[in-house]
Amino acid sequence: MLQPTGKISRLGTLKSLLQRFAFLSLIVATFALMLIGKADTVLVERARIAVTDAVTPILRIMSEPAAAIADVVANFRELGAIRRENAALRETNSRLLQWQSVAQRLESQNHDLRALLSLVPEPPAHFVTARVVADTGGAFAQSIIVTAGQAEGVAKGQVVMSGEGLVGRVMQAGQNSSRVLLITDINSRLPVLVGESGTRAIMAGDNGGRPRLLYLSTKTAVAPGDKVVTSGDADAFPIGLPIGRVARTDDGAIEVEPHMSGDKLLYVRIFDFGLGNTMADATVRK
Amino acid sequence: MQPTVLQRMDALARKLVPFGLTLGLMLFALTPMQVPGLSHVTPMYSLAAIYFWSIYRPDLIGYGTAFGVGLLEDLLSGAPLGCSALVLLLCQYLVFRQPKFFNAKPFGVFWLAFSVLALGAGLLKWICVGLVAPGGFTRFGDMFTAVLLTAAVYPVIAWLLAKAQIKLLVQP
Repeated sequence: MLQPTGKISRLGTLKSLLQRFAFLSLIVATFALMLIGKADTVLVERARIAVTDAVTPILRIMSEPAAAIADVVANFRELGAIRRENAALRETNSRLLQWQSVAQRLESQNHDLRALLSLVPEPPAHFVTARVVADTGGAFAQSIIVTAGQAEGVAKGQVVMSGEGLVGRVMQAGQNSSRVLLITDINSRLPVLVGESGTRAIMAGDNGGRPRLLYLSTKTAVAPGDKVVTSGDADAFPIGLPIGRVARTDDGAIEVEPHMSGDKLLYVRIFDFGLGNTMADATVRK
Repeated sequence: MQPTVLQRMDALARKLVPFGLTLGLMLFALTPMQVPGLSHVTPMYSLAAIYFWSIYRPDLIGYGTAFGVGLLEDLLSGAPLGCSALVLLLCQYLVFRQPKFFNAKPFGVFWLAFSVLALGAGLLKWICVGLVAPGGFTRFGDMFTAVLLTAAVYPVIAWLLAKAQIKLLVQP
């Protein structure tokens, strides 16, 4: 009778030993992965692209209900404010009609002046519209996954915009999906122009909703409410894309309230401005 | 009598239920919720799932699941590789090491223990990401809010997973 009990206890010990060995091996594997992530970014990037491409169809289905609920809530909200909004729109419309005539006059004048100077026109920007299917990272990273990839002409480094303003840049482009690094991510650094004076600065994300302005050439020239736009330096972005407004300028830190809201992105446009594409070049050089 | 192919497939599918549901919850965390402010403080749903299965069905969830789900989470979320896997593995190890503590206790004790574990997990991930990511440390307040939310949603997740367990894993 004693034999089976002994066998069972030996099996139990063996199982627990195996479990402990598996645990230790996997812990070592996590540290190895951290090192690989630091050392071989190309390999990790390929793995991320492959996994993202594979999972995007599932994420697309999973994001449908949330998008549908958001649509219904937005519809109800709009219904409540429809009268007020209508009046405001009428007023805006009459104002915009005046601006339209001004713009038409300026456009024809601009056209004449360009012809006079024999100016070579900038190539038109191409864009694709894609749906946001994942909003990843939480408190540790700020990126989104969208449903357009190399098959639609998306490439690393391209500029991503929403209706409100700049959203970020394409960080990885898979076959049918892409990851976009948001301007609020802690790894995001953008050259920007602030206010009417065009003070140069670098806008740095911190994973919160409000990125900060660093390395301002003149701090005193910046006030809350000042417009923040891309500067076009380093060929990363075309000049003048709207980003947001200066929100706070106290205790040495200047925060920017972006026009785009990372929480409400449903669709984004990915632009190919035909720029130097510094992000893509950096990968090629490796 | 030898089990038929169908029976074998059924048994395999049952074994994969904890992994599948943990993976599903991890993907749910990535889904855009369109709720203002939530994307900075998304709860750690995968941690709640790993904790639940490690207590109730340790026979169906091994270290491989925690590692696999953590690795996929890092690959998809853009966080540094290895950090989520490390956190999930250590949490699972802690639960596995304390079978007596988790034996037949009221739900409140499980919840409290999970809240403490979530705080530890949040802190560890915050330090790990801060040290490994090129951008450095993220905002401590966001991490802490995410931990509070994780603790707050645990009863809902535990209820859902318990329902799933009764429906899918208890033999008829």
